[in-house]
Amino acid sequence: MNNTWIKYGVYFVLIVLIQGLVVDNIQINEYLNPMIYPIMIMMLPFELGVTVTMLVAVILGLSVDMFSNTFGLNASAALVIGYLRPGILNLIKPRDGYDTVLLPTIHDMGKLWFLTYASILLFIHHLWFFVIEILRFDQFFHIVLKALFSIVFSLALIILFQYIFYKPSKK
Amino acid sequence: MRNLIQFLRKFRDFLIFFILQVIVLTLFFNSKNYHRARMANTSSAFIGWFVEKKHNITKHFGLEEANEALLEENARLRALLPESYYHLQGDLFYVNDTLKKQQFQYIPATVIDAKYTKRNNYFTLNQGSNQGVEKGMGVISSQGVIGIVTDVSKHFAIVMTVLSDKIRVNVKLKKNNEYWLLNWDGIDNEYGQIQEVKRDIPLEIGDEVVTRGGATKFPEGIPVGNIAEIVKKEGEQTISLRIKLAVNYNAVYNVYIVKNLMQQEQLKLESRIEEDE
Repeated sequence: MNNTWIKYGVYFVLIVLIQGLVVDNIQINEYLNPMIYPIMIMMLPFELGVTVTMLVAVILGLSVDMFSNTFGLNASAALVIGYLRPGILNLIKPRDGYDTVLLPTIHDMGKLWFLTYASILLFIHHLWFFVIEILRFDQFFHIVLKALFSIVFSLALIILFQYIFYKPSKK
Repeated sequence: MRNLIQFLRKFRDFLIFFILQVIVLTLFFNSKNYHRARMANTSSAFIGWFVEKKHNITKHFGLEEANEALLEENARLRALLPESYYHLQGDLFYVNDTLKKQQFQYIPATVIDAKYTKRNNYFTLNQGSNQGVEKGMGVISSQGVIGIVTDVSKHFAIVMTVLSDKIRVNVKLKKNNEYWLLNWDGIDNEYGQIQEVKRDIPLEIGDEVVTRGGATKFPEGIPVGNIAEIVKKEGEQTISLRIKLAVNYNAVYNVYIVKNLMQQEQLKLESRIEEDE
């Protein structure tokens, strides 16, 4: 148990630093605003309660916010997916439920399941993020476009991150 | 009974979500307001350390452009030196000038972190209160206006750039001193907007827009941009302008923080007027 917490702690610091120092500075144009840190919330164990997930999400979001000078924006978007995650996991549950030995990674759950899972969470996260950030209804088309392009970029980064830092769990 | 407990549990989760959401959103909307912003950000010693380390690695990528910008500015300033003028009446340049008193000083700084594709874009500078930087000071580069300092720590300062939704820059048309407020709609980081321009002003594409001065933050006449498009809508009393910004925010390496030596005096005087009213 202790070991697991240390492992998640290391991931947390690593992800915040990668987001704050590297991914935040990939600034190609206004439509590409990639974010890798939602992976931290995605990778939490299946059975983790919603309250703890929300707390992790808020602390994660605020840490990322410190680097991007948007205090509260990332926290707000992370909180939304933290709150909705258990419901979404329930929605896309495999026929015989989740094996608690496994983690929600691409290695353990397969490509199709992971893509569905990550796309849903990223879609909610990015859309919420840009709506709150821009908050102008006359630019709704701009917001949706921005979210869609960014999702594709974020998804690619998240999959890359998984192949670099995660190994299949031992059954 | 079981349904009721389940409902209450769900309701409790939603309540926690709602309360946390209200807290973080309040933080966010306060952080955008530069009069009140006092948040943990890249000016803090801890985060600033990381950002500076990152800058130490990445600064070499932009060195050539940074040097070119500095050279260009040096050439322009050199042309203004007394040595560059042909002396028609030699003595005139050496009279001690008692008509003019220095109002602005400039603190040079390096941009160690720059955002330019977000809705609200901030720069982090490597100068802080130890070097005399204060909240509310204007920041310019050799190309034009950059923004306003919103937060300072001992060694770092945060600048809210013109590319933000809360900022309004006092600008005027260079040729006839007509003045307006410039803002940014968040879509293209090369263009700013000016609304509510009277129809009877003679305007041409390419007319230069500069800072108005007088609002204590920027000296008069710092370039802001050029008129790129004049937008006229049927049935509206006023027109709006699209301004091609003078500064290329993707490539800002060295900036100057404007220190207004007469700011206190002006603000004190202005606040006295308000009290009287």
